[in-house]
Amino acid sequence: MWPESQQTKDLAMFDVWKDRFEAAYPQYDVKGAPYTYSVDTVNAKAQANKLPTIFQTWFTEPSMLVSNNYIKDITGPLTSLGWLDKMDSSMRSALTFDGKIYGVPRDGYGLGLVLNLSKLEFYGILSDVDGDGKVDLYDKNGKPLYPTTFEQLYEDSQIINEASDGVEKGFLVLSANKNGGWQFSNMAWNFGAELEKEGTDGKWVGTLNDSHAVEALKWVQKMAAEGLLLNNVTLDYSEWYSRLSSQVDMALVGNDVLSLAITNGGMDKDDLALVPMPKGPNGDQYSLFGGTPFVFAANASDDQVMGALRFLEFMGRSPETSDASKSAIVEGDQVAIQKGMPILPTIKAWSDASYLSMADGVENSYINVDMNYYNDFFNSIYTIRHSEVPYYAQDMYTILDGVLQEVLMNPDLADCQSLLTTANSTFNSQYMSKL
Amino acid sequence: MKMVATKKMQGRGFGGGRLRKRDLIGWGLMLPSLLLFLFFVWWPLGSNIGLSFFSSVGFSANKFVGFANYATVFQDPIFLKALLNTLKYVGWSLLIGFVIPIFLGLLLSEVVHFKGFFRTVLYFPSMISGIAVVIMWSFLLDPNAGAPLNAIITALGGAPFRFLDDPNWVIPLIVITMTWRGAGGTMLVYLSALQTIDNSLYEEARIEGASFFQRIHYVTIPHIAPTIRSLLVLQIISVLQIFYEPLVMTSGGGPDGASESLMLLAYQYAFVKTGKASLSSATSVILSALTILLTIVYLTFVSKQKKKAPQDV
Repeated sequence: MWPESQQTKDLAMFDVWKDRFEAAYPQYDVKGAPYTYSVDTVNAKAQANKLPTIFQTWFTEPSMLVSNNYIKDITGPLTSLGWLDKMDSSMRSALTFDGKIYGVPRDGYGLGLVLNLSKLEFYGILSDVDGDGKVDLYDKNGKPLYPTTFEQLYEDSQIINEASDGVEKGFLVLSANKNGGWQFSNMAWNFGAELEKEGTDGKWVGTLNDSHAVEALKWVQKMAAEGLLLNNVTLDYSEWYSRLSSQVDMALVGNDVLSLAITNGGMDKDDLALVPMPKGPNGDQYSLFGGTPFVFAANASDDQVMGALRFLEFMGRSPETSDASKSAIVEGDQVAIQKGMPILPTIKAWSDASYLSMADGVENSYINVDMNYYNDFFNSIYTIRHSEVPYYAQDMYTILDGVLQEVLMNPDLADCQSLLTTANSTFNSQYMSKL
Repeated sequence: MKMVATKKMQGRGFGGGRLRKRDLIGWGLMLPSLLLFLFFVWWPLGSNIGLSFFSSVGFSANKFVGFANYATVFQDPIFLKALLNTLKYVGWSLLIGFVIPIFLGLLLSEVVHFKGFFRTVLYFPSMISGIAVVIMWSFLLDPNAGAPLNAIITALGGAPFRFLDDPNWVIPLIVITMTWRGAGGTMLVYLSALQTIDNSLYEEARIEGASFFQRIHYVTIPHIAPTIRSLLVLQIISVLQIFYEPLVMTSGGGPDGASESLMLLAYQYAFVKTGKASLSSATSVILSALTILLTIVYLTFVSKQKKKAPQDV
């Protein structure tokens, strides 16, 4: 949570928040403890009681952190602060285990389809319809020109592949470090798959090999077999921005990391758009929904937890609408602008009306992108969002990575049904059977 | 000579039944190292072996399960794949990476001019960070048409090659990367061994009419044979522990486990797969057993060399 020393602008901002907080609550002394969460380090830090009082992680992690007794139940402090009922219900359920709440959401993300606008215009998929000098996402009748279905995504990829003589590709499929399985699960839902379901006996089982998941995998196979994907068999989420700026024109990306295309990929923010996930053949459309929660070390005292929760208000990350909270949101946006980042709407962690009014009001005055390129995504995300599978999501992703790699390696020979049946058997025997 | 030395030692040390001031100083000097070893090596090692016999919560031992973790590891299909791959890494490294440093050492020992320059150039890759090297090679070996090596191949009329994404090529290519980085350092060891050979032996061989290859066969190889044997065993032990190269170059052992190694599997049990820290410990112990076995072989070699070389007594 606390910025690393090289993030000088963020660090200066946190120091201002710290001074404000300590003036308001003199009984607390804030000590910055930078920690970038990683699965490699969290075990060692937890075993040594060296986890910071409060730290950020991902929504996929709390189940592991709770089962290993690494993080603290904060239901009591949240109740006394009156924050429980103000929390976004979907995020709250992701942080609830056995009726106890183990974290505070920071913000959320949904997966969507990121577009490289200038490339798509170059290949004739998008164009400047109204002649205002900017690429448009809709035709004169308001119909989207961008792909809204996986079939259209396939057709547009054919156009790009043919026009570029195979050098550029239309779409990026990930396949490694759990990222392939993570994104494929969203694709499979849109093809109608469930991936996990509760049986009549109340027991949950994996259903990776249902006919809809097989159809989704066959779509990937078709793309690979026709040379519409990059040749790489092992690609992960750390590569989308570099590939988007040079080799592919569309990719599945969360709204929370779009700035990486600019800061790390060297793209112009006016060349980016984020549109909803393509629909499957039966019209199903979901957006995998996740995010970043703050969690609290198991060995933190109640006083430390309460102090850390109160400090969130001074970071603009609580449902409070105080001046300190508002100032922090303003300062956060100003620093982001100084760093050259695009300011987009965020998926809020709190559903309280007065908080939303305050936060949206501040946020809207700082948005520095053309919202025509983002409206479809943000207008639909709350209705199409879909949480990750409830059990062993990360392990399922690892297994699906292997399936995707097999398909990408041998697109002409791979038997999708057989691969997913084997994967499902492994998933159920190694993980789901232990529920 | 050796007998006398041993008797003297017995008179001075514990064998004599007395702990003298000089011994105390010796133990005192060793104590910091022993404590560091105890804390950083033996304790974690013992904890790891212990954990391999328990189920785990996080990295803490939970219930004693005997050899169940070992049975689970052996039954996991990826373990057999990782074990075979690890042996493949060793095989390819012997094929590719073992001969090249000897060859370079021989070449360099024959160089008369700019010897220092060539030595620096050949050693230079060893000075680059290992992670930087594998990232650089990953970039060079990208399988797409516009990537550096494929750009050359396509310019010459060939089709883009999949390189690291080809399950048949991934291990040899990773070994080439390792060799590119490590050959210079090993070459220097061979070079120093070559420089200890008495020149008069070569002169005598020339007078006897020996060709270049005969001089290599009858003079050079016999003299550097102990070094070759030692480095052979060290290389096998080192390659058995291959880890970060497949972790970085093939995103964790891909494609579809074709470059998975035992060390990488232990890491994945610990940090990637949920609740499998005990399996990681078991895998580490299995790998250690293999490594210890080969270390014993190495120590046997060293011991034999010392017995053969009177100056070492």
